[in-house]
Amino acid sequence: MRLTVKHEAGIAGIILLATIALTIAVPDAPSQVVSSNSAFIAAIALLIVLFGAKIYLHPKSAQSTADVFLIIAVVLLLWEVLLGKLALLDPFIFPGPTRVFRVFEIDWQQMLAGVISSLEILSVGYAIALVAAIPVGLYIGWRKRLFDAAYPIAKAVSPIPPTVYLPYAIVLLPTFAASSVFLIFIGAFWPILVGSVYGVFSIDPRLINSARTLDLPESRMIRRILLPAAMPTIFSGAMIALIMSFITLTVAEMIAATSGLGWYIQYHHQFANYDNVIAGMILITVVVVAVMYLFDRIQAHSLRWQNAE
Amino acid sequence: MATIDLQNISMIYGVNGTRHVALESVDLKIRDGEFVSLLGPSGCGKSTLIDIVAGLKTPGHGTAFIDDEPVTGPGTDRGIVFQDYSLFPWMTAFENICFAIEHTNGKQTRREIEERTETYLDLIGLGAYKNAYPNTLSGGMRQRVSIARMFAMNPKVFLMDEPFGALDSLNRIYMQDTLLHLWSGGEQHKTVLFVTHDVDEALQLSDRVAVMTPSPGRIKEVIEVPFSRPRCRKTLAGSAEYNTLKSHLLSVLYCEMLDEIERQTRFKGLA
Repeated sequence: MRLTVKHEAGIAGIILLATIALTIAVPDAPSQVVSSNSAFIAAIALLIVLFGAKIYLHPKSAQSTADVFLIIAVVLLLWEVLLGKLALLDPFIFPGPTRVFRVFEIDWQQMLAGVISSLEILSVGYAIALVAAIPVGLYIGWRKRLFDAAYPIAKAVSPIPPTVYLPYAIVLLPTFAASSVFLIFIGAFWPILVGSVYGVFSIDPRLINSARTLDLPESRMIRRILLPAAMPTIFSGAMIALIMSFITLTVAEMIAATSGLGWYIQYHHQFANYDNVIAGMILITVVVVAVMYLFDRIQAHSLRWQNAE
Repeated sequence: MATIDLQNISMIYGVNGTRHVALESVDLKIRDGEFVSLLGPSGCGKSTLIDIVAGLKTPGHGTAFIDDEPVTGPGTDRGIVFQDYSLFPWMTAFENICFAIEHTNGKQTRREIEERTETYLDLIGLGAYKNAYPNTLSGGMRQRVSIARMFAMNPKVFLMDEPFGALDSLNRIYMQDTLLHLWSGGEQHKTVLFVTHDVDEALQLSDRVAVMTPSPGRIKEVIEVPFSRPRCRKTLAGSAEYNTLKSHLLSVLYCEMLDEIERQTRFKGLA
């Protein structure tokens, strides 16, 4: 029998519900017991709601949604059974899900503050990189001679991991936030720049000719023709830049911050609070997924002319 | 009022040490309000010639004049329709036309620009598709928008580079009629330079046909098309005069093609 989407979605739902039932009905292994398991149950309930909403709102992608949620459901169930109930691995460094999700219940204020401070730094640094790199990249792509001069330099400088600037950033800039913004800017600048330059290169010369026949002033040529035409490539560069920014930020926070997502993990690692470390990792994952989702939506909207049906 | 005057235009490309003569001493005078087709097989330099008039390419020798002014670069006094690359895919049909006329025709208010755009979109029967992106339109509809844009820009001359080359034959006939209808509808005929490789298209549309031949690209012959306007496609197709002209053009084209094929096979035989 072939497994239909409906069957698969049903199975994923049943596994999620079974995990809840198991959590409530079967006691945790002694090493995994915490005072309340309600946070984990709430998290699964939230997953079920998200799952239903996603399938309902996007029936076209129901297959992949069901696939993804089935994997998540199985992972959660295995986690609960193998670590939570049976404690098969060292319970000190491999906490079960009820212990981990309990952290969210206790620490949510601190975590929320961390998310906000991280996102603030990220968005400022990233925004400055976008504003600086796109116009420069478009202009470099447009002017052959400028490109010939800039390309070898960019090639040499761009692979330097942005965090190596951290010692100087901390010494020269007044606050941690300012130096992190600077690092994110550096890390995001190059991929966006390269995306913009190649965006201009990849424009169909026939489109450029069509624009040339309108005898546009250069500023208009860049803003109304090169920018939108290069946009698909700029977006791929911006996507790499965004991932780069996340890495830079968390590393910077782990080294020098007093709040934020990376700091949270580093701080609890020092005290060997592995429940909090894993909770912090989950939090970062959720934030990254949310930001990427936002990015995808902006991209789809900006490029709606590409494959408009 | 606009004339196009091509004087002794030559264009040579050097490719890996070999010389390719794209155009050799091309002379052509187009009168004001005249519709002239450049007819020829691919590689005869007809697109290069229209690019020179458009100011996109600079000839090796000779000069193109518009109203006795030498062409030094692109300009909005010339409206251009390419085979399928005139419109910008990130702008809707409406935005494409607005964008093109924004900085032509001198000072205009936003309202005037938009009204003008609406008028021309309605004129080509695509008023309902004003907010559609080019990718969502059929090839024929895209070309209709391109033509509307060209008319809306109100340039001195129209340059069209195989504008219907990518369309099926039925659509092509429809587009030819649309073009002629718009062209003859204006208070004053625009001067048109039209590139095609289709003999029927050239005869149906033009006042004169310049037949071009490749290697080196040159104008072999210019013929007058004597039929009065408006022309009836059916009557023309049945007339002896039309068919004589058509077979004459075909023989000029085919003779060259056969010579060319012969030349190539001879080269191969030597090698």
